[in-house]
Amino acid sequence: MNELFPLKQVMGFVVSLVLTVVALLVYFLDMTFARGIAILLITAFLQAGLQLVVFMHAGETEDKGAIYTNIYYGLIIALVTIFGTLLCMIWGYE
Amino acid sequence: MKIDHTVPLEYSTEENRIKIVGFWIFLGAEIMLFATLFASYFTLVERTGSGPAGSDIFDITPVLIETIVLLTSSFTIGLGIHAMRIGKLMAMLSFFAVTLALGAGFLGVEIYEFLHYIHVGAGLQTSAFTAILLTTLGTHGAHVTFGLFWGIMIVWQIKKRGLTPENANKSFIFSLYWHFLDVVWIFIFSFIYLKGMM
Amino acid sequence: MDYFDRFAVPHPSFGIYASMVAIALTVIGIIVGITYYKKWGYLWREWLTTVDHKRIGIMYLISALLMLFRGGVDAILMRAQLAVPENTLLDAQHYNEIFTTHGIVMIIFMAMPFIMAFMNVVVPLQIGARDVAFPRLNALSFWLFFMGAMLLNISFVIGGSPDAGWSSYFPLASNEFSESVGTNYYMFALQISGLGTLMTGINFITTILKMRAPGMTLMKMPMFTWSALVTNIIIVFAFPVLTVALLMGSMDRLFATNFFTTSNGGMDMLWANLFWVWGHPEVYILVLPAFGIYSEVISTFARRNLYGYKSMVASMVIISLLSFLVWTHHFFTMGQGALTNSIFSITTMAIAVPTGIKIFNWLFTLWRGKIVFTVPMLYSLGFIPIFTIGGVTGVMLGLSAADYQYHNTMFLVAHFHLVIIPGVVFAMLAGLTYYWPKMFGFMLNERIGKWAFWFISISTCVAFFPMFLSGLDGQARRMYTYSEATGFGFWNMVSFIGAMGLAVGFALIVYNVYYSARYASREIGSDPWDARSLEWATHNPVPAYNFAIVPHVASTEAFWDSKKKGHVLFPGDYAKIHMPNNSGVPFVMSSIFFVWGFSFVFGMWIPVILTTIGIFACMAHRSWEEDHGHYLSVEEIERTEEQLRGA
Repeated sequence: MNELFPLKQVMGFVVSLVLTVVALLVYFLDMTFARGIAILLITAFLQAGLQLVVFMHAGETEDKGAIYTNIYYGLIIALVTIFGTLLCMIWGYE
Repeated sequence: MKIDHTVPLEYSTEENRIKIVGFWIFLGAEIMLFATLFASYFTLVERTGSGPAGSDIFDITPVLIETIVLLTSSFTIGLGIHAMRIGKLMAMLSFFAVTLALGAGFLGVEIYEFLHYIHVGAGLQTSAFTAILLTTLGTHGAHVTFGLFWGIMIVWQIKKRGLTPENANKSFIFSLYWHFLDVVWIFIFSFIYLKGMM
Repeated sequence: MDYFDRFAVPHPSFGIYASMVAIALTVIGIIVGITYYKKWGYLWREWLTTVDHKRIGIMYLISALLMLFRGGVDAILMRAQLAVPENTLLDAQHYNEIFTTHGIVMIIFMAMPFIMAFMNVVVPLQIGARDVAFPRLNALSFWLFFMGAMLLNISFVIGGSPDAGWSSYFPLASNEFSESVGTNYYMFALQISGLGTLMTGINFITTILKMRAPGMTLMKMPMFTWSALVTNIIIVFAFPVLTVALLMGSMDRLFATNFFTTSNGGMDMLWANLFWVWGHPEVYILVLPAFGIYSEVISTFARRNLYGYKSMVASMVIISLLSFLVWTHHFFTMGQGALTNSIFSITTMAIAVPTGIKIFNWLFTLWRGKIVFTVPMLYSLGFIPIFTIGGVTGVMLGLSAADYQYHNTMFLVAHFHLVIIPGVVFAMLAGLTYYWPKMFGFMLNERIGKWAFWFISISTCVAFFPMFLSGLDGQARRMYTYSEATGFGFWNMVSFIGAMGLAVGFALIVYNVYYSARYASREIGSDPWDARSLEWATHNPVPAYNFAIVPHVASTEAFWDSKKKGHVLFPGDYAKIHMPNNSGVPFVMSSIFFVWGFSFVFGMWIPVILTTIGIFACMAHRSWEEDHGHYLSVEEIERTEEQLRGA
């Protein structure tokens, strides 16, 4: 039975549940917007990284470099698009 | 076809390795698809017109159920792939079945949630906020629905044809897709729901 | 509007009816012709179901040339309308439709398939591969693009063309201000062909990353392949943005959502924002492969290796990142504050640096080269000065404070035409001439080609330089007429003469194809240009399997080294070759997509549901299909090789 539940993946699942609980603190506790967003950013990106490395086996082959470059590139462009859009549409709009 | 037996079945042919890289690049495009939806969501989140705001309509219970269900399904599909790699076909199929059942459960709760929104007056046409909310959630939901049908096909094909390099490859790629949907949900959970209810 | 009124042409005129008759006659002519010569089987077996990258490339090329004609006619009509003040050749609505379709057709349905044509034909040959990574997906990409193009092109006879500009800004593009179904066509035609483009992007990145010949490291790839890789990376990350924007626009028009409306919280500017988040990278998607072609042509005909290979690669990678950082410069006047505009001004200036590096690298390649003035080389040399003028006026437009003066004037129109025509069209014509023998087995006539070059390059300047002046004088773009008192008449007449000159140039190219097809020698060998990279190392015409033996590469110019330095390109013996099978599914599925798009345009929900089921049925069919391709035996390869060597 044990061989069907490798420790790495079980731990990954436990950590992801813990991160969810930590993220839920922003709902149950009273805190400032900045602190809440900081917690959410940290937990969300940790969760995403966890899925990528533990569950999706992103780094297991010779194509590791291409796969990570692809994800990082996508992430950078995604963040640029989101924050650039906010800059144009909300923050920098007069 | 050359089959390399030193690596897991899903990587065993050159064609399989190429397909896995191709799918990762597709996931790169999916990152941008959801990033655009998020960019639009953050732009329109305050623009509620005469309709309700997020804090008026979000409810923690269904959201929490959805999150736990999807996280668990991501865990079980990971176990399914592990079982496939150590050659336990029955265990693999069981984990896949559990995953798909959890996916269906997720969809059920999401449909309930949508009906609830429409019921409290937050329909697709109410305001820019409700439109982008339902579109973002709906796009994720549509991906899950597509994944359900896809997963059923794969399980069916494995039952019929046994575990071949092609099947194993499809299963692995399906697992990548499913994990990715979980990643997207984490961002929806954090930056649409929790941020909205904070 | 009554339901059936939506299918009628909104403002019928003699021209529209004449085109309807012409379309009907052409379709009947094609069907009768194919039936008479009994070519249906040939068409289906060899073309509609093909997964061969070379044939798909040729189909892209034919589509691009057809669309070039369509977009060119639009352009001539516009210039003719503006040639004299108070002209009544076209009314305002008709003019709106024409400038809209001119933009869409030229960018999405002419320039895109043109670069796709060269990527398809050249990239697998340059990297020594047998085909692309996913040949079936490649066929699907082409047919989706083709059906998208057809969907847009039937709009002007059924229901009316889109008329809100190629950028289709809301709220102008909303139901309130664009009542006809034209903008629906825009949304779905672009959506369908955009899906095809995205698949191409994934396909070619995978091909280039995974299928290079042994020894060809990333830094030993030919420059065109590098440009294709960077371009496809931009495609993969830019096109999803368009997908989402079009989805939201379609929902606004069909389901009365409030994304881009002016009520209930809708934000019309968000459309402009998302459109240009895709739209600016799109500019680089077009121009980078063109740069790749120039790099190949210039080093071939300067008889030197490309100067500054590493800086060429680095500047393309930097351009690919920066291309996602500048989009706001398309709407500096929309109301962002000084800080936002300044940030995007600076990123815009920054992108001129890597572009400048590339220009200097080409100049240094020419320096002390033994330049051969062939037609492709003439286009490449003509490109440098004209593109530089277009480019520096772009830097002027990129100054956000000054942009308030230039925005939406003919100055802008002059700028982007003087970037796109030398940057993209010249490259496509250079590539067309350069790769013509590779695709069709004979060369285009040089003398007629040079006449065409001089007509096109001089006419480009005559057509667009005057717009700088009339634009600075205040002539706005997209205005269907102007009064005599404005004094724009003279410059617009000069532009019209330039446009006619361009038409003559393109007519000469068509004549050249006819003339060369009839009279040119077929005995040209496999390397008529004395070129440097792998695509010239195989036979002409290229056999289906490309290379009988997989080439081994040791430098960026493997073929040149094998010719001059005795490098052994094809070591070893023939072995059986695995080939993909043809399939009709991509064509069928794309045809269903066509009906799907058409049904959405008119809100016909039952066909929408049926075709959606059809699309998923095609995907399920693919999932169940067991298709392992087929093998070519050693004997077959030997026979083909002998035949080709004998010819």
